[in-house]
Amino acid sequence: MSSLPSAPARVPLWRDVRVLRWAFQLVVLAVVLALLYWLYGNYQANVAKSSIPTNLRFLDNPANFTIPGNDLDQSAPVRDAFYQGFLNTLQVAIVGIVFATILGTLVGIARLSQNFILRTIAAAYVEVIRNIPLLLLLTFMNLAVVLQTFPRIEDAWLPLDLFVISNRGIAIPWFTGSALVLLGIVLVGIVAAWIVTKIRNRISDSTGKPAWAGTYGLLVFVVIMVAGWIATGNTFTLPFVDDRATAGGFRLDPSFFALLVTLVVYTSSHIAEIVRGSIMAVPRGQGEAADALALKPSAKMRLIILPQAFRIAMPALGNQYLNLIKNSSLGATISYFELTQIAQITVGNGSPAVPAFTLTLLVYLGISLITSLIVNYFNRRLALVER
Amino acid sequence: MKRNVAFMGALAAMTLVLSACAAEADTTTATTTEETTTTETAAVAGSVLESVKEAGVVRCGTRDALPGFAVLTEAGEHEGFDSDFCKAIAAAVLGDATAVEMVDLETADRFTALQNGSIDVLVRNTTWTASRDGGEAATFMQPTFYDGQGMMVTAGSYESVGDMNGAVVCVAKGTTTEGNAALESSRLGLNWEVRSFDETDLILEAFIAGQCDGWSSDVSQLTGFRSAYPDGAAALVILPEVFSKEPLAPAVLDGDTQWAQVVNWAILATIQAEEFGITSANVDSFLTSEDVSIQRFLGVEIVSDDGSAVLDPGLGLPTDFAYQVVKQVGNYGEIFEAHLAPLGLERGVNSLWTNGGLLYAPPFR
Repeated sequence: MSSLPSAPARVPLWRDVRVLRWAFQLVVLAVVLALLYWLYGNYQANVAKSSIPTNLRFLDNPANFTIPGNDLDQSAPVRDAFYQGFLNTLQVAIVGIVFATILGTLVGIARLSQNFILRTIAAAYVEVIRNIPLLLLLTFMNLAVVLQTFPRIEDAWLPLDLFVISNRGIAIPWFTGSALVLLGIVLVGIVAAWIVTKIRNRISDSTGKPAWAGTYGLLVFVVIMVAGWIATGNTFTLPFVDDRATAGGFRLDPSFFALLVTLVVYTSSHIAEIVRGSIMAVPRGQGEAADALALKPSAKMRLIILPQAFRIAMPALGNQYLNLIKNSSLGATISYFELTQIAQITVGNGSPAVPAFTLTLLVYLGISLITSLIVNYFNRRLALVER
Repeated sequence: MKRNVAFMGALAAMTLVLSACAAEADTTTATTTEETTTTETAAVAGSVLESVKEAGVVRCGTRDALPGFAVLTEAGEHEGFDSDFCKAIAAAVLGDATAVEMVDLETADRFTALQNGSIDVLVRNTTWTASRDGGEAATFMQPTFYDGQGMMVTAGSYESVGDMNGAVVCVAKGTTTEGNAALESSRLGLNWEVRSFDETDLILEAFIAGQCDGWSSDVSQLTGFRSAYPDGAAALVILPEVFSKEPLAPAVLDGDTQWAQVVNWAILATIQAEEFGITSANVDSFLTSEDVSIQRFLGVEIVSDDGSAVLDPGLGLPTDFAYQVVKQVGNYGEIFEAHLAPLGLERGVNSLWTNGGLLYAPPFR
């Protein structure tokens, strides 16, 4: 204090930027914690006043409802119903992500096409779908398309006698036998195909002959699928109309169909824009180099542009996947029995709202975090390794 | 790095929330917090009765599209059996049947609205069940309508519920109806597919489009929907079987006995009035009645040799609450005749006990 000239000695604590930064962070943290504590105390007080249970014991109560397309007994515990709802959410999310990616990529490529009509149609598709509220799109799909456009079960459409389409669902040919066995065959097929492509690539590297890796891989996969199919004695069953329901085959629930189509269409319009942007972000020189090597346009897209575009697109695609998963909760508005619908039903029948919805919320959080992890993993795998 | 810090922060907050949630499972901490908080709140917050008197309006949880029970008219007013009981409560508490704020609720949201205090009373044809009494923090009052679940189908499609093998049955979401339909299906081995919808409008759409074979709900509701069916009531048939007990009762939030009593006696007043033969038209002539029990009921001065007195049961209501209820809204029979009889509903078990029904009011003394 006395020796002013010895300048940069010590700044007082209240003027030290580093200290101030820390102090500010601590204040923010304290405020947030106090807010959370206050909210929680409030909840506790209200709950205690009206003696609402706050634990998860309601999960052991009988569910008292059934789930379409599932043989869950109505006396099964709420826990099982939640689990089934979880599976239904996963089902629509996974199938939706696969189809939305495929459709979105195709539309994204079409938006950059040289063909005027194709380009315009793709642009119109993206602009129309992207600018409609999702809930409205879903309601339209359910009320206008599935309920009104699809025929009653009495006049069901039977294209090629392979499908049964009515407003009670879409039945498709399906295999008999265990799904697990089929899954096993598919897995074996994929692994075998992967090994064959590796070998073909290695041969190609050492001899310089064309690899045909994809063709060989696909061939091996198909052979294994057919062989496995015959070996395990699987056959197809065809769906048919039996009185007021369909029998045989596999029936897609009408609300599942409406939700799936809506999610795929909506998300694909966003994915298309991401894909278009990513393709445009691939340096021009890459395409020109491909042209200089006289690659066919399809090979140029498949081998040069798309792999680099997807590297750019990956984080944004991950966001769309998360959106799709969370948007699947709108299925509750059209009677698709996913997590949210199950939560709403059980809360209406005596399960306490706060624990039931907290549980639902945490499950969604869990699904989203795991999806993020997977996307991040692929993102790191695909990212350029900078040297 | 910066992103990492943010992520860690979010994670830390999440852990805190989770640990807070986990803490409630610990019974010792839970009871101590409960004790402290209840004593605090009991001192601060009064009865709903006080807040209703202060606000000068009763917030009544209801709906807007159930013919007979509660429909929104073109004038923007709620009209129907349930709406009348909302008005009866307002007449009893505030002396003004129009001092009601009708709050339209979705079926699945009704208990949450009651729990978070955005309504004072729920009169939304809600079935009284044990787990709702327990799990939803609702206290149910005198049932206003004793109902049962039935099945409605298009005319000529089925003769009885037992014929409906493999049928698609549509119900409202978050109701007792879902469970009853599932139970009936498994009891009769019928393999129903029970689909539940947010609102009855959606069931109607699905039913018209032929996605549902049967529409299951309380018979009173089905009667209402049948009367308003676009193709005319004759296109639909309500099957003879009734497969559940559905006592429809108003509900208030647990833990407020005073308010519960007030709501209960407002309803009972309509029943007692019918038993006395007092209607909104003739109630004034009863003011001069010599009958002591009627004098007590209407809150008029009972003159005796030692002077005069008015019965104040100490419910926290004006002494003339029953008079106001009957004068402004009517007795139970009038309410029924005005809203439910036009749908074709019979009094049945909803008759006075003196006529072999279930309606029985404790004495006003």
